[in-house]
Parts: sequence; C-alpha cells; structure tokens
Amino acid sequence: MYLFTSHSRGLWLFSFVKLRGEELGMKKIIELRGISKAYDGETVLDHIHLDIYDNEFLTLLGPSGCGKTTTLRMIGGFEQPDEGDVMFLGERINDLPPHKRNVNTVFQKYALFPHLNVFDNVAFPLKERKVPKDEIEQKVTEMLKLVKLSGFEKRNVTRLSGGQQQRVAIARALVNHPQVLLLDEPLGALDLKLRKDMQQELKNIQKATGITFVFVTHDQEEALSMSDTIVVMSEGRIQQIGTPTDIYNEPQNAFVADFIGESNIVDGVMREDYKVTFSGHTFQCVDKGFAKNEPVDVVVRPEDVDIVPLEKGMLRGLVTSVTFMGVHYEIIIDIGGFKWMIQTTDFVAEGEQVGLFIEPDAIHIMKKSEYSGMFGDYSSFSMELDELSDAESEDAE
Amino acid sequence: MKRRGDLAARWSLAPYSVWALLFILVPLVFVAYYAFTDTDMHFTFDNIRKFFTATSTVTGDNGETLQVRTYMVIFWRSVKLAVISTVVCLLMGYPIAYIIARATPKVQKTVITLIMIPMWMNFLIRTYAWMTILQDTGILNNFLASLHLGRMHIIGTESAVVIGMVYDYLPYMILPIYSIMAKLDLKLLEAAHDLGCNGISTLRRVVFPLSLPGVVSGVTMVLIPSISTFYISQKLGNGKFFLIGDAIEGQYVANNLHFAAAIAFILMVILLIAMALMKRYTDKSVAGGV
Amino acid sequence: MKMKPASKIYTAFIFLFLFAPIVILLIFSFNASKSLSVFSDPSLKWYRELFRDEETLRALQNTLVLAVTASILSTIMGTAAAVGIHRLRKKYLKAAYDTVTNIPMMNPDIITGISLMLMFVFVGRLFGLSTSLSFWTMLIAHITFCLPYVILQVLPKLQQMDPALPEAAMDLGCTPVRAFFRAEVPEILPGIITGLMMAFTLSLDDFVISYFTQGNGFQTLPIRIYNMTKKTVTPKMYALATIIFFVILALLLLTNLVDEDDSRRMKEARAQKRAARGKPPRRADSNKRSLAIVGAILGLTIVIIAAIGITRPKPVELNVYNWGEYISDGSEDTLDTIQAFEQWYLEEYGYPVKVNYETYASNEDMYAKLKSGAVSYDLVIPSDYMIARMAAEDMLVPLNYGNIPNYQYISDSFRGLYYDPDNLYTVPYTYGVIGVIYDANQVDEEDLGSWDLMWNEKYAGSILQFNNSRDAFGTAMYRAGADVNTTDHAVWDAALEALAQQHPLVKSYVMDEIYNMMESGEAAIAAYYAGDYFTMIDAESDNVDLQFYYPEPTNFFVDAMCIPKGCQHQELAEIFINYMLSEEPAVANAEYIYYASPNRLVYENEDYIDEMGEETMEILYRFTDDFSDLFNRYAYRNLDQETLTYINDLWETLKIS
Repeated sequence: MYLFTSHSRGLWLFSFVKLRGEELGMKKIIELRGISKAYDGETVLDHIHLDIYDNEFLTLLGPSGCGKTTTLRMIGGFEQPDEGDVMFLGERINDLPPHKRNVNTVFQKYALFPHLNVFDNVAFPLKERKVPKDEIEQKVTEMLKLVKLSGFEKRNVTRLSGGQQQRVAIARALVNHPQVLLLDEPLGALDLKLRKDMQQELKNIQKATGITFVFVTHDQEEALSMSDTIVVMSEGRIQQIGTPTDIYNEPQNAFVADFIGESNIVDGVMREDYKVTFSGHTFQCVDKGFAKNEPVDVVVRPEDVDIVPLEKGMLRGLVTSVTFMGVHYEIIIDIGGFKWMIQTTDFVAEGEQVGLFIEPDAIHIMKKSEYSGMFGDYSSFSMELDELSDAESEDAE
Repeated sequence: MKRRGDLAARWSLAPYSVWALLFILVPLVFVAYYAFTDTDMHFTFDNIRKFFTATSTVTGDNGETLQVRTYMVIFWRSVKLAVISTVVCLLMGYPIAYIIARATPKVQKTVITLIMIPMWMNFLIRTYAWMTILQDTGILNNFLASLHLGRMHIIGTESAVVIGMVYDYLPYMILPIYSIMAKLDLKLLEAAHDLGCNGISTLRRVVFPLSLPGVVSGVTMVLIPSISTFYISQKLGNGKFFLIGDAIEGQYVANNLHFAAAIAFILMVILLIAMALMKRYTDKSVAGGV
Repeated sequence: MKMKPASKIYTAFIFLFLFAPIVILLIFSFNASKSLSVFSDPSLKWYRELFRDEETLRALQNTLVLAVTASILSTIMGTAAAVGIHRLRKKYLKAAYDTVTNIPMMNPDIITGISLMLMFVFVGRLFGLSTSLSFWTMLIAHITFCLPYVILQVLPKLQQMDPALPEAAMDLGCTPVRAFFRAEVPEILPGIITGLMMAFTLSLDDFVISYFTQGNGFQTLPIRIYNMTKKTVTPKMYALATIIFFVILALLLLTNLVDEDDSRRMKEARAQKRAARGKPPRRADSNKRSLAIVGAILGLTIVIIAAIGITRPKPVELNVYNWGEYISDGSEDTLDTIQAFEQWYLEEYGYPVKVNYETYASNEDMYAKLKSGAVSYDLVIPSDYMIARMAAEDMLVPLNYGNIPNYQYISDSFRGLYYDPDNLYTVPYTYGVIGVIYDANQVDEEDLGSWDLMWNEKYAGSILQFNNSRDAFGTAMYRAGADVNTTDHAVWDAALEALAQQHPLVKSYVMDEIYNMMESGEAAIAAYYAGDYFTMIDAESDNVDLQFYYPEPTNFFVDAMCIPKGCQHQELAEIFINYMLSEEPAVANAEYIYYASPNRLVYENEDYIDEMGEETMEILYRFTDDFSDLFNRYAYRNLDQETLTYINDLWETLKIS
C-alpha cells in the first residue's frame, strides 16, 4: 500500500511513454473479462474486455449512455455484471462488496457528507477502520495539504466552492491509499477555468501518489490532455483503446474520429496502397493493406486542410460560413454538397470560392463500420447547437 | 438481475411488507367478509341491500309525510357536512399557511408548533369545551349579549357540527399546504411580479397551482375524518345530526357487527373511488399546470 | 419578511379560534364546582383530585406507554420501509407499495378500527382465546395507522438525498448497514424526527381506533373520557389537559432558549448567503435542535410513565368492568373503595390483589365487547334487561352466595326480580327511577306532573330527550300507557310517531351533556335518573332552580353485580362483591353515585341519611317497599334481536328527520 512513496519520483516518466503497460511488462491491476450488463432488457455493457495496469491514468471516454459510468461502478463494486468477470490482481471480485475492495471513488457530485465538516469527511474512512486518533489527525492533515486545503479543517463542506468540494472528495478517496482511484466525471460541475486547473492538479496528484486513476469523462479534450490510456466507448462497447496520440491520429472508425476532436469524414475508395479517392479527387496517403477498390471512411482533421488559391486546390468549394474563434477561424466549406470544416488562421470571406490542399499524412483511412455515414458532415453545424447538445449529454448522465 | 440495492430493499422492506399484509390488507378483507355474511357466517347480500333500500317515514318541512331512504339521507348529510367543513378549512387554512410560509424561519417554527399544540390535548375534551362556548347560555352568547348584539343559536345546528369539525381538522389542512408553500421559490413570485402579475393574480396563477399538491393532501386529510366522525356530531349537534360514523358506531354497539361492516365497506368503496378520481384529476391538472 | 398588519390580525383570529376551547378548559379546571358551564369559585381542588385518582393516572400512563411504543416502533419499521421502497427499481412494485401505504390514510379511522377489530375477534375466536383484544392489539392498531405518516415523511428525504452518499460511505469502507447509519441517517434525520413526532401526536390523540381495538387490562385516556358519558366528564380531565398544555409550553420555551445562539449563527449564515451563492442549509444545527426537542419529550414521557408506574403489578388481578364514574374513587375526600378493598384483602388474606378497574359507556357497549369474546372480566355491573339477556345467552356464572354473606342485607324488594327470579346470578348494586327534572324558573307549575311536560309546545327548544333509543322510546311509551317490552311493531311505530312529533320541540338528544345544559339553564326540561338530579343541584347556576318529580308510570332499573363466563377468579370476585356490600364501602359508593341503594346497611345508616338530607332520601327511596311490583311491571325487559334491530332502525329514522 505504501509502494507509491518509493516509486513516485521515477514513475511520472511512464506517463510520457506511449506504449501500453502490457508491452512494458507492467502489472495488470484490473481485468474486465467479457462483461455484459442489461437493465430491464436494455443492454448497457456488451462483452467488455479491458485491462488496467498499475500506475496508469486511464480514461473511459464516450457520450452519455455509452456505459462508461457503469463500467466504473462495476470496478467500484456498486454493480454486478450479468456476464463475465471482474478481476483484481488476478482474483475474481464479482461479488466482493465495495467496502472490501481496495478501490476508492470520487463521485460525480462529490457525495460529501453534509453533516460532517471537512476534517471529518476526510477522516471518515480512517474512523471506519478504527485508526488511532493521532494517526487520523496526521493523515488527514497530510491529505489536505496534498489537495491544498490546509486550514479548511473545520469548514462546513456545504459552504465550500465547487473546486474546494472537489478537493475534499479527492482527499477523502485517497486517504485510505487505494490501489485504484475511480473518478466519475469529477470535473463536470466546474467552470472552464477551474476545470483546466484541476485537470493539471489531478495529473500532478496521480504522479505524486502513483495510484492508478480510472477517470470517466465525456469531454475529449480533458481525456486527451490527462490520460496515459484512453478507452473510447459507445453503445456499451469499446471502440478503441490507445494512447491519446493514437486515438487522435489513428481513429479506428468514424465514431472515434468524430468523437475525438473535429473531423471531416467522407466516403472514399482505396484505389491501391497509398492511393485513395474521395470527393472526386485521388489523393496520396500513407495507408496500405486494403483490398483494391475497397470502400473506406476517410478522415481529415480541420486543422490539416490548407486553404490555397483556387487554381492550386486539390478540391474546390464555396465558403458558407466563417466564425472567428480567437486563435483561428472556423470555416465551413461546401464541396459538392458535403460541408467540410476547416480551421485556419487565414481569413477568407463568406461566399468566396477557394481551393483546398491536403498533405498525404493528414489523410487517415478507416475500414467501413456501423458508424460509417453517421458523422463528419458539418451542414448543420453551429457553435451554439454544439454547446446545447453538450449540456444535454451532461444532464442525461 | 442481482443487484445489491434490490437485496437490501427486500430486507428492509420485509417487516413492513408482512405488517402491511397482515394489518392493512387482511383486515379490509374481513370488512368485506363480514359485510357479505349474516350472523351464522353464511353468504348474504342482505346487509348491502339494507343500506340501499331501508326506508323511513319522516315529516317534511311542511308537515307532509315523506318516504326516504334512511342510509342515503345519513350518507348525504355526512357528505354535505364534511364538504362544507373541508371548504371552510381550506378557506381559513390557506391564507394562514401562506402567511406563515412567508414569515421569518423563526416565526414559522413558533407558529407551526403553536398550531400543533392543541392536537396534544385530547380531542374529546376540546370538543367538550366547545359546548361551553357555543351553547345558548354559553360564553360566546354572553359575550355577544354584553355587547348588546343579541344572541345566536348555534349549538345543535349544522353550524355547530361544522365548527367542531373545522376546529378539530384545521391543522390537518394548514400543515400540508404550509409545507409545500415553504418550499416555494420566492424568485417565482418575483418573476410573476416582474411579468406583470399583481398580488392577487400572482396568487391565482402562480402560488395556487404550485401549492396544489398541498391542497390536495390537506383536503384529503380533512374530508376523510370529517365524513366518518361520530363524537363531534353527538356532542355539538345535540344528537340531532346522525352521521354515517354514528350509524356505524350505533350498529356496533347494538351488536349488529355485520351491518356495521357493511356500512363501513360501502363507505370505504365510495371513498376509494372518489379519491382515485380526485387523484387522476389533480395529477392531470398539476401536470398541465392548471 | 415582516408580517403585514392584515396578516397579523388574521393570524391572531386563527389562534383565537384554535385556543378558545383550551382557555375554557384552563379556566374551568380551577372551578370549585363540578360544572363546566357555571363558574362558582376558584379552587385547586381538581388538581388534588387528579393526583389522587389512580385510575386516571394509570390511563395517562397507558396512553403515554402506548404512544411512545407505537411511535418508536412505527418510526423504526417505517424508516426501514421507506429505505426499501426508495431502493425498489420496479415501477409496479413501487406503485403497489405506495397504494398500500396510502390505505390507512385514505380510509376513515372508523374503518381502520372496525377492520382490525373484526380481524382480531375472528382470529381470537379461531384460536379459542378468552380475550382477543389486549394491549397488543391496540399497539398493533396504533403502529398500523402511524406507519404511513412516518413513511411519507422519510421517503421524500431519501429522494432528495444524493444517492451517491451511501455508495461513498461503502466505497470508503462501510458495510451497507454502517453506510446507512453513518451516511444516510444523518441526511434523512429531519424526516425521521418529524415522522416520530407525528406518530406520537397521532397516537396520543387517537380515540376512534382505540375505541374499537381496546382490550381489557389496558384503558387509555380518550377511552376513559368517552366512557364518562353516562355521568359527567369530571373537571379532573380539564386539570389534566391544562397540565399537559403547560408542560408542552415549557418544553417549547426551553428549546427556544437553547435555540438562542442558534439564531445568531443563522444571521451569520444569511450574511454569507448574500455574499456567496449556494445555500447554507444549517442541517446539522437544526438536527441538533429537533433532537433536543424529541429527546426532551421522550425523556419527560418516560419520567411520567415511571412516576406513575410505581404501583407495580401484583400477583392476583381482578378485572372489574363497570360504568364510567360508578364507584367511589376517593375524589373529594371520599373513600377510594377499590383501594380500600385491596388493603383490606391484603390484611385479611395476607397476599396482595390488584383490581383492574375499567369502564364502559353503555350496557350495549359492554355486551358487544363481552359477546365478541374480545375481552374477559371477572365482574361486570350491567342493568336488569341486559342481565336477563346475558343469562338467557348463558354468559353468566351462578354465584356462590356462601362467599357473599352480606347478601343478607339486601332488602327483599330486590330479590327474585324478573331478570334473576331464582337469585342465581346477581347481587344488586344500585337502583333508580327515571323522573323529570325541570327548572322552576322557566316552567309553570300547572304543566307539571306527567310525561306531557316533555311534549308541551310551550317549552319548545327547552326540552332534552335521551340520546339512547330504549330510554327515549320509553318516555313516549310510558306516556301512552303502552308496554315498553312489546314485540308489536305497531306499538313501536306509534312511539316513533310520538317522538317525531316531539322532535321539533327537542333542544338536544343528550346523555352526559344534560348536566351542563340543566345546570346552566340552557334547557328547562329533561327526563333522567333521580340520583343525577342531585348532582345537578349541587352545581346549578344562580338563576336556575332545578326541581324534580316522578311521572306515572315510569322506568325502574337495577344495576347488579354479576360474574361473566370466562372469568378468571370467581371466588375473588365474590369476595369483592361481598366487600362492596359491607357498610363502609357501600355507603361511600351510594354517597358518591347518588343512586339509591338496595342495601339496608346503607339506607338505614344514620350518617348516610344525614348526609343525604330528608328531601333527597324521600325522593331516592320513595319506592323501596313496593319496588318489586313496580319493577316487574314497568322495567325494561330483554327484547329479541329482531325487535332490537327494528327499534334501532326506527331510531335512525328519528335521527334523520
């Protein structure tokens, strides 16, 4: 349990390692083996396989209802799988109740005990274990220092700000030194600025303690910036597991491509290795291994498209909307009825005809999947709608 | 589906489930059983039939003889007095609930406790005290006489019975309405004012619809006991207002258990139907925002 | 927000309404006389009486024991149930529990009471129990009607609570049970406390359900009060109500004092609220306060129970079932005959006996209870016609007169009466004659003398009639010279017609209310039992001059002690009967009840004669010598069930006109 103190300094190096633990021979802490779960006949999890390694910061990412919270609760012991096994350090723990698992949770709305003050909230698990009083005192003080809340011991938790409550929740979950910390959308209720700070801080805490973090969020930016490993989920299934860069650069299907960052996803045909045709033009690309003339999904990130004079363009289109975003412009361009999004620092005027240029390594080819054709067209795009749908998904959670 | 929640639910619910079955549901079966049997426990419709068909000859207002259905008369009289009492309770209780809900928390607590205090003193005794106040030579009339306002004849009239019922059940009207109103967001009132409602239309269009759940439970909690009371009518009605409760108690004392059960059974069925209708109606209107 | 003046006035009006009767109780509890309508002199007499009245104190103790037990048990079970219901996932199950929970609230309490009573009696009969109603049945009934209130208080608190709280606790190492107590209970505590208080209040105030489910050995205050309806409700009860009022008031003041620094904290909180967004719920503080109140009330209740409970249960118990206010109980410096018996018995036989003395409101009430098998008593004191009925239905045990040597002092006039022609079952206790009481200040002399006075239109609105069918029909039938025991429906129909004709003249149909109404001059004419007339004179108002005469013919009655089948201690009951016939207790009872005694030791006792006075003796004992004849001719007899049902129907007819 105290392992982390000796390891902590060296361990943060691992966070920059792009390989998954398995390849490094790291210890598997948790294994989910073929987990399925249904509520009232509705499938929530569909044969999930997932390994979680020691000391990693793993994020379960997906839209609301994708099963990420259920997965987390299964690890926490609040749900039992209908099928499959939950393994903890090689032992089956399906029926082990939460209080016997060496796993702690930071809940979505913190779930601080309103009748206890800050100190007593953090001391709660220690008192439950009948830890001696002076030891409690010492550990709680230590934890509060870690989350930068020293001096708040006697404060009523209901009168703290959201960020402070968040820190209390983290301190409380960590005070028992669990092997795994589960975080269920812990930053969802914070405003943007505070969220950024907390992201950094959580990351720091994880490094400092060396505890495995399993983090649930629907915010892809958050996932990208914090995680060692991201697990993208949708409709009860895992869509892709990988490092942030893998996920961003090599999405395995249209869903992942769309969910992680902005993407233009168009239908294409793989002519041969390194050659793909879409939007009426054949492009050089870096992908191979597809059948000849295999229909594929083509992903092009908005920032990877350059606007060039009409005559130099590989593709041509009409600018239908230009929005200033601060650092760049977000431009919607109609190419043969399909709306592309392009992010660029160059200004073009609405109604202008422009040419587009795409580098070969900016083109990602994906096999056709059930998600093909569902995403990638920005014809109905509007900033406001985007935010609204975001808010909805948060509410639904 | 094995869920920890369900397991815990089952265990903590077990005692109540057994209790509710044995002491809430089964006794109702006994009411039905007794209602449909005679003294030898043979099945019969006689008790039910008697309730609907028993007739009495009474003298009407102009001295003419009338044939009336005894229990219909008793039943409607009970309903009438109960409805009047409920309406009076609502009219008296609603404003006070509103006033309390808008007072400072400390005043709220004090006033609510004061309203509950009388309930700690036995209602038989309190009803008895009303006799002293209301009788013709009673305190109220002496007071009126000393002001040269003339005397009022109250005791033994329907008004006296209504006063008794209103007195006993008013707290049951005030408390549920208050508890809903206390939770009302003051901002809603401000919003209503802001949108151009004056005090009265705010009350009508915002406060009242929102407090409707409280009103419904208040009305239920007053209507039900006032329909079936038997002490108040005996004491304050000078024994002249024979209500359905008196009929049940009378049959019980006269050892006609089966007929008492029949009256109780019919009353129960009617009330359950009425409550189901009321619930449907109010659910709809609450959902539709009135 | 400050109250507006209009609001203040309205609030004051409501409180005037709510507290008016309580002020009345308060004032009349200090009345020297027994009247609730005429205040004579201030006095603390009734408070002294209250603390001497062991039966009332025991009833108070019972009420509190019941309320505390029922409220605590229903709170525990109700809270567990709310937790369970809250965790149910299936909608139809939730709906089912909601419906069941609502039943006791949606059902009038009279139905809840009757339904439970029917079941208890049925089950009792099934198992052949001698008593099916007891403390336990009452407790079950009280828990049953308190449960929904608790559940409906706790459930919303659970719904408002963050469902992650108990999970967080389990996550942090609590077992599910400990998680409930450490995380959930503090959150839902306000609901639990409110539920507990509501249950306590409802149980304390309940009369109707208790009335139907009470058994022997356990009588509560409301039942005791209700059973005083043949005689009058004693001002002791007002004294008791007043004490309860002040105790509660004191408790509230006390908790408000505790609250002082609380309110200071609240000001701070409000300031903070303005500064920062978000609500400061002060939950912990208000929890502490409510806990303090509940603790204080429970503590006090237990102290009271303990204080009254000094009288420990004794080995042998004699269950006596008598009319309300029908024995000398030690009030107003009389002899407490029951206590005296217990003492005498201990000295005489060397081991203690405990008399459980309980009361009923009418013969029919007592009969219904005994007949249903719900209760069992060792001694009852019914009236003549009821004795005949019980004897006919084999509900009585023949007495062993060898154990009752004092029977010799019963005058011959009271032996071999129709209800017990062979002197097998009964020992007469009191007897009486119905007469007409009138206010000489309101009634002219030429109208006196017969039953016609009660039909005299001159006194419309000032006449009182019995509020029980047998006696009311009796007045009409005696007036018409008819046989009060006929089975001929036509005769009863004619009597109903007479009563219907009288109906517009009648001010009120009364039992115990007669005392108030006659004493205060509220009414001028009433038929009632001769002995009660003297009770009224004692308390009559200055402008009232009550007088009395016997119309002819009229009703004669005897109340006699007998032992019902199923009694547990027959010999002890006979010793009790014998003791009650001995001179001192018999005189005390006669003086207390004011009814005539068939016991020579009483009516030939000089002190008694002195105490009663010449006029009283003349009225009370006018018929002693030829009582047997008159009684057998005019007394009520047992009627068959068909006729009784017929009368009951006629009575209802009268009541709805």
